[in-house]
Amino acid sequence: MRYIALLRRFLQLNLLRELAYRSNFYMQIFQSLLSLGFGLVGLAVIFDHTSALNEWHPGELLVLLGVYQLVGGVINLVIQPCMQQLMREVHQGTLDFTLLKPEDAQFLVSIRQIQIWKLCDIVLGLVVVGIALAHLGATVGAGQMLTFLVALVAGGAIVYSFWLMLATCSFWLVRVENILVIFQDLYQAGRWPVSIYPSWLRWTLTFLVPVTVATTIPAQALIGQLAWPTLLGVALFALLTLVLSRWFWLFGLRHYTGASA
Amino acid sequence: MKALLAVYRAQLKTSFLMYLQYRASSVLWLLGMVLEPVIYLVVWSTIAGANGGAVDGYTAGDFAAYFLVLLLVNHLTDNWVYYEFQERVRQGLLSPLLLRPIHPIHADIAQNLTYKFMMLVVMLPTAGALGLVFHPTASITPLSLLLFLPSLVLAIAIRFLVEWSLGLTAFWTTQMSAVIQVYYVGLFFLSGQMGPLALFPAPVQVLAQLLPFQWMLAFPVQLLLGQLDQHAIVLGLIAQTIWLCLSLAMMTVLWHRGLRRYSGMGA
Amino acid sequence: MGHSCAIDMCNLSKHYTVSRRDAGLKAALRSVVRRATSQVVAVDGITFHLAPGEIVGFLGPNGAGKTTTLKMLAGLLYPTTGTATVLDYVPWRRERAFLQQIALVMGQRNQLQWDIPAIDSFALNQTIYRIDPSAYRRTLDELTELLDLAPLLTKPVRTLSLGERMKCELAAALLHRPRVLFLDEPTIGLDVTSQRRIRTFIAEYNRRSEATVLLSSHYMADVEALCRRVIVIHHGQILFDGNLRELAQRSSSYKTITVQTPDEPSRLASFGEVISREEGQVKLRVPKAATASVVQRLLEECAISDLTIEDPPIEQVIEQIFAQGVVA
Repeated sequence: MRYIALLRRFLQLNLLRELAYRSNFYMQIFQSLLSLGFGLVGLAVIFDHTSALNEWHPGELLVLLGVYQLVGGVINLVIQPCMQQLMREVHQGTLDFTLLKPEDAQFLVSIRQIQIWKLCDIVLGLVVVGIALAHLGATVGAGQMLTFLVALVAGGAIVYSFWLMLATCSFWLVRVENILVIFQDLYQAGRWPVSIYPSWLRWTLTFLVPVTVATTIPAQALIGQLAWPTLLGVALFALLTLVLSRWFWLFGLRHYTGASA
Repeated sequence: MKALLAVYRAQLKTSFLMYLQYRASSVLWLLGMVLEPVIYLVVWSTIAGANGGAVDGYTAGDFAAYFLVLLLVNHLTDNWVYYEFQERVRQGLLSPLLLRPIHPIHADIAQNLTYKFMMLVVMLPTAGALGLVFHPTASITPLSLLLFLPSLVLAIAIRFLVEWSLGLTAFWTTQMSAVIQVYYVGLFFLSGQMGPLALFPAPVQVLAQLLPFQWMLAFPVQLLLGQLDQHAIVLGLIAQTIWLCLSLAMMTVLWHRGLRRYSGMGA
Repeated sequence: MGHSCAIDMCNLSKHYTVSRRDAGLKAALRSVVRRATSQVVAVDGITFHLAPGEIVGFLGPNGAGKTTTLKMLAGLLYPTTGTATVLDYVPWRRERAFLQQIALVMGQRNQLQWDIPAIDSFALNQTIYRIDPSAYRRTLDELTELLDLAPLLTKPVRTLSLGERMKCELAAALLHRPRVLFLDEPTIGLDVTSQRRIRTFIAEYNRRSEATVLLSSHYMADVEALCRRVIVIHHGQILFDGNLRELAQRSSSYKTITVQTPDEPSRLASFGEVISREEGQVKLRVPKAATASVVQRLLEECAISDLTIEDPPIEQVIEQIFAQGVVA
């Protein structure tokens, strides 16, 4: 299919680019390990003082940490670099080149920048999840795996839509690029299970800035605590945000090209 | 000296105008900074709740007070100049700065102070609103407030100098170096951003006293909240002064070395 | 495939609303509460038509509206009023089939990936424009030959000089053999040799492919070298649309007479305006109508060893038009 051919081409291009800077690979491994260590030390400090955090036991929180690392890797692999690039191009006026191409602009801007080395985070996250599950003695059946994947994809879609809508704001506001930095700050909230937050914060971190939906829900799926209705709700929410972000993108594009002058 | 003051006035005005222009993004940057203390406030309060109301003597109210004060002090001591340095070296923007008859650090200081104090307009009400939600309990005496001010100034100065020096590593590599990343991890745990240092195991607390992190953030916070006795306050102020001198020395050395390397590269 | 017009427009206009703010602290604080705006007219009701295969120069000073017009014709901007069609498509509908047949190259703006060799960016264009592999090969070879790209293709783009980069940008834009090529100041910032090479290439490409080329520039040399027809735009309006020679003839009401004479230059001041004087050579500017009589008097009254009559250089003519805003 068309889009697969384009995706392959972009992967190729990005890999070529990254191979030109090999030191990035070693730096990435260091970064991923440091980040993991950071998370583990945090957990250790917490569990020095308690045996469970809102009924999440150490093993379960470790699963959450793994999912957090994994999802963070996915975001930094493609979502963050693409949206950052989009904002930069709007700022510098070079988005025009993408708009001249005979392909859907949203697809192009969402897929063209891939930070290949972020795969380290993804792999590391999976390893942590694996170890944590083994430690818990939990067996993950096919059904659970499926719900985990659905939750992961839905969470990813929600995060993507959110970032796209944020990036689309740059059509109106000028210096918005630095704003993406705050998502990195906000993403920290995903380290902890969403249930610990007061309701207003929980609502904010699920719907307004969809951090916890990307991490807590898939983690719950893995430890077998995800109820069907919740999964369905998340999936529907994902669909809704995809539609909303597409509409907003087209709206922003019309403004950028002066249609709604 | 008078010339320097005039430069500062002009620089402050320029920075003020700039941040006014980009007020939307300026305010949004604050969001991230507010969330982190709130997250750990909630985490520790949850633990306190599960442990019968307190963790090592800290109640949920104590945590609320700690993190809200930390929020404000962190805002006032925070810097972002590291990222700017990366851009400067990468795009050769440093050269025009070097052509000016004053040290580039002054422009950065002015810009830094402008942003932080402008944004207090947003930060103070935010902290107030969060106070209404989280019910902090604290005993702040006039004396502690009086002693807080110099320790705050010292903390701002130390952290600025240390992080400005870190920015100088951009002369040697434009990739985010390992040193920077380790610094931020250290900062998080050892400056009190994760929680009151008293909650950490004893060896960690000793480490925190030997490194500058505590003196950039946790010390003024604890001072204000009345969690330190006289002895500790005096020792702490001395430690801050020592670290101020050390960081000034480090900055000077790195600046000269870095400049030599920069001009050697013919940028 | 006979289109009567490759590019066709009627009364095209583009207005912008910009926020206005005066300098100073007070004005800045005021603008927090109230944003003052003003209207900028970038393009003001322009109309022209291009036949297929024409190369037309679009000439105007900075801010004249050239780039805005090109962007509207490429579909990147919606006009405020007016209509246009390019190859019978409405550009701003941005239909895939339309985008497949046009290209826009902007001077000093890169679409090539910075860190990798140009040839890899070309491969991306091949996929995006769905170019048949054999057609791609053929076009690439032709462009490589015409632009002398062979040594450049495998070097990372950031290591190329400005002129080399521009050549690669042009090639990247032409891989899909567009039928309409928009060039926005393609030679800006390049050294004289590179400029000349780019011009030669465009002329050759137009000849071989019969693509319609609309070239905007504020360099007279670009237009002189490539275009027989020129459209002059200023303040968003068209001042002239026609033959370049005709433009020069129509708007200059003076001729330049260069005389070689040992006489005192001050003596010659009575014949016309002295615009330059050197060792034994003086240039006079004389009203066209009076040329014959002035020449006759010069030959009678002065010791002239050589005499030349010329039209003023085109640059001067254009400058005059921009300054006055009219074509006489």
